[in-house]
Amino acid sequence: MSVRVCTLDDLLHAPLEADSDLTTQEYLVNMGPQHPIAHGSLRIVLRLDGETVKHVLPVPGYVHRGVEKMCEHLTYRQIIPYTDRLDYLSAIMNNWAVARTVEAAAGIETNERIEYIRTIMSELQRLQSHALWWGVTGMDLGAYTAFLYGFREREIIGEIFEETIGARLTMNYIQPGGLMYDIRPDFVAKVKRLIPYLRGCIEQYETLLTGNAIFQERLRNIGILDGAKALALGCTGPVLRASGVPYDLRAIEGYGMYGKVNFNVVVGSVGDCWDRYYVRLEEMRESLRIIEQLIDSIPEGAFSTLHYNADVILPEGTHYGQIETARGVFGVLIVSDGKSGIPYRLHFRSPNFNNLWVVTAIAPGWRIADFISIQSSLDLVVPDIDR
Amino acid sequence: MGMIDTIAVETSERQIAGKTVAVSTVLRGRPPSYLRVAFSTVIGLLRGMKMTLGYFLSPEEIVTQQYPENRDTLRFPERYRGNLRFKFPNAEEHESHAALVTQVSQEAEVDAQHAAAWMHEDNGARWYHNCTGCGKCEAACPNASIKVITRHGEILDDRELDRFVWRLDSCMFCNACVQACPWDAIEMTAGFENAVYDRRLLVYNLNKMAGPRINLIQDEENPDVRKRMVERRDRYGGPVPLNGFGLPNLLPVPAPLPVDEAVDAMPGQEGSA
Amino acid sequence: MTHPMLAIPAALPAGSPWGAQTLAERASASQNLWVTAGYFLLAIVGVTVLLTLLGMVLIYVERKVAAHFQCRIGPKRVGPFGIFQTIADTLKLLFKEDFVPPQADQVLHILAPFLALLVPVVLLALIPYSPMTQIADLNIGILFVTAIGGFGVMGILIAGWSSNNKWSMIGAMRAGAQIISYEISATLALLVIVLFSGTMSLSGIVHSQSEGWWVWRGHAAGFTAFIIYLIASTAELNRTPFDIPEGESELTAGFHTEYSGLRFAFFFLAEFINMFTVSALTATLFLGGWMPFHVGDWAVLNGAMDAIPPGVWFLGKTSAVIFLIMWIRWTFPRLRVDQLMHLEWKVLLPIGIANLLIAAVLVLTNFYPFPH
Repeated sequence: MSVRVCTLDDLLHAPLEADSDLTTQEYLVNMGPQHPIAHGSLRIVLRLDGETVKHVLPVPGYVHRGVEKMCEHLTYRQIIPYTDRLDYLSAIMNNWAVARTVEAAAGIETNERIEYIRTIMSELQRLQSHALWWGVTGMDLGAYTAFLYGFREREIIGEIFEETIGARLTMNYIQPGGLMYDIRPDFVAKVKRLIPYLRGCIEQYETLLTGNAIFQERLRNIGILDGAKALALGCTGPVLRASGVPYDLRAIEGYGMYGKVNFNVVVGSVGDCWDRYYVRLEEMRESLRIIEQLIDSIPEGAFSTLHYNADVILPEGTHYGQIETARGVFGVLIVSDGKSGIPYRLHFRSPNFNNLWVVTAIAPGWRIADFISIQSSLDLVVPDIDR
Repeated sequence: MGMIDTIAVETSERQIAGKTVAVSTVLRGRPPSYLRVAFSTVIGLLRGMKMTLGYFLSPEEIVTQQYPENRDTLRFPERYRGNLRFKFPNAEEHESHAALVTQVSQEAEVDAQHAAAWMHEDNGARWYHNCTGCGKCEAACPNASIKVITRHGEILDDRELDRFVWRLDSCMFCNACVQACPWDAIEMTAGFENAVYDRRLLVYNLNKMAGPRINLIQDEENPDVRKRMVERRDRYGGPVPLNGFGLPNLLPVPAPLPVDEAVDAMPGQEGSA
Repeated sequence: MTHPMLAIPAALPAGSPWGAQTLAERASASQNLWVTAGYFLLAIVGVTVLLTLLGMVLIYVERKVAAHFQCRIGPKRVGPFGIFQTIADTLKLLFKEDFVPPQADQVLHILAPFLALLVPVVLLALIPYSPMTQIADLNIGILFVTAIGGFGVMGILIAGWSSNNKWSMIGAMRAGAQIISYEISATLALLVIVLFSGTMSLSGIVHSQSEGWWVWRGHAAGFTAFIIYLIASTAELNRTPFDIPEGESELTAGFHTEYSGLRFAFFFLAEFINMFTVSALTATLFLGGWMPFHVGDWAVLNGAMDAIPPGVWFLGKTSAVIFLIMWIRWTFPRLRVDQLMHLEWKVLLPIGIANLLIAAVLVLTNFYPFPH
């Protein structure tokens, strides 16, 4: 199945066909690069007929920093802090993607303790990311209070990161062959205290927004994306799963400790904004389940199997590795010349870039306010789109 | 209006990419009657209002931190990644802090009070360092924020640190330099109040003394030789190689402050170590 | 059993201004031109002071209330408990560049904020704050309120149109559709009270509630009218969940996107004065205005309630309604534009009409608790 993607040419030269007997005029508006819904700097050109969206064209590139090109001059360890700045809400998982690719290519072994901590940290970050997303969705739909509640949980998880890693946002934590720091002695106790608290918070989320009829009306049956179209667009993560495709790398590849814990892949039944909303809330519960299963049994061991200053040289060829971040599959493609410690070519397959183009397929025909719902339910992080 | 869904999650197993995975499906369903829909709509709205009112009535839930007021009580985690600085050499290597102050005052030809003030002035620099100038940090830095300039030390006839230039403006606090240092000479601290009016001030020397590692200085018995081993380095003295231009006379090298003023001028919360 | 203070004066003694109820009556009762002019001046000064005070207090209260709903502290630094925050904000807006976009309609762009502020200020004159404090008591008070209130949309429409900005235009069009639609429901709810009290004069309506407030004395019809009026007037105020004309995440700032400095402050002030007027009207019409809380002939309770001055009753009731509106704002998300229309035309309007019929039956049968 192929998907028609709107181009700038479509927008500018399409015949103006307002669906009304009145003499009305279609018009173009730039939603962004500076607009509250852009969540950063994303320009979206809309062709509107009154309130109805006729065409959508995202114009990314306002946060383009050339990260992939910069990474061609950096060692594999030095690449990792740059991945923090792509999808900054999934920084640890992005780190892991690079580490996993490098470890698989260079044959670096890790021990079980490292994998335990990586898995727990990734799930904490997924919780953090979804908590923030929940708040931002509330804010986009006008419930500003939800934003601050979501941010509060994010900060509480951030405290744990700060104590273990020293940073709240740009972690640079997972390194090839291990971790930057070992966990602190009180880490386990703190995370265990956090789990019931976060369960209570999810209940509050359900009370404040899920049970609210206005909120449901704004999301239900809006922007329906069916599974085939989602696959054709290359969607991953909650966006794809909400369309009914249970594609989750954690379950399929079972990397880290995911192969050894029980958790469900949450899928939606309709593929609308509501499914994308509720799938994430359920994912938060699944993340808590995963952490609960792991937190008591972290084995002893070294936190890194590779000395920091050791040279990492990948064998000649193309290496690819991927990770399920909070927004979908983050892939790292490295072309190595087999001689130097830096990649010859490097590409990040970022989930947000593919998820962004969903709006061109599903937003036309809906109203401006529905476009906000759709955009918010995709949970885009703009630096990850532009790189 | 007033349509509300009941929410249910159903568990099953499904095949994907050749694997069987456990799946929770988010289901839909309207309440059976229109009256039930209206009722649960109103109840849902009221429950949300009850929750926000609960927060309104409980001031102990407030999470705001009053930043400039709470500077004195701010606590940073031990691993907090803020400003880079030279690690204070281990305390057991010195007889006492007072002895070190005396030593510093002799070598820099200032009185003991000034030396003590300088040693507290830790926004980036410490008096002595454990750096050999090996350049591992410079190599590890992903965006070239560190420049280690070495010189040939005549007394020990070996390479030693001349200037350790740190570009705060391009640093991304990734901790790579600290990890890479084989001598455990640098650390990241809780310093974060870095605002200045001229961005050239963000490029500076971290070291206060050009010279060999502290252990090598202390191994030397003769105080005169010790004094000749080190040479004072100012924060902004000398050309700054990464800037593309020098910073001569940008700031006059300050005369040592009386201790009280120096302590007053100290940035507040650095140095939790 | 009526409190002497609450009794309607039977007839005005000729030539005695102090027997009158309102400033306007006193002014017209006096024979001296200077005294009349003095009353006018008093009215102008009174409304201006009220306007300024309300703007200051309400904006501060809104920020504090919002903060506490959101686990924050709110303004704190300017003055004790941040009470001078609004003054600081006003000063800041005062010193900002007064920017009018070059492509905008210069005259209308400058005029619009004043039009927006005019309506709530006019309505301030009609509200009976206490038995002796009212500026004008028209015998067509409700009609006047509806007519002037409907004029409020003009400022917003003119602002959106004259800004020559697409977002402003969408916001203004949304506001026009929304406010005009919700006028109907609001008026239907007001008519219920007119039926109950048999008068259109606002102070007459207050006096008619001496036996009990219409919100509960009017049975379900009174309460339904109260809820409908609350929803409809929140919609007319453009506040969440009905803030689609300025829906921040959709239209950046809606109709006032192109306004800055003091002109923006005028829109802001208009919004808050409007909130006060609407709350005061709700309190007057449904919650008995300055009338104390009475239960039938229970003399002990009624006497205790009468000890509280009427002005305090009025302010308390108005504050309660204001808090309710803020509470709703800081809890609910906003509706979509077509859902908003759906709510009005398919839910509120039928209920409002049915409610009016029920109220008529109630009035015909004189079926009240504690009848006159």
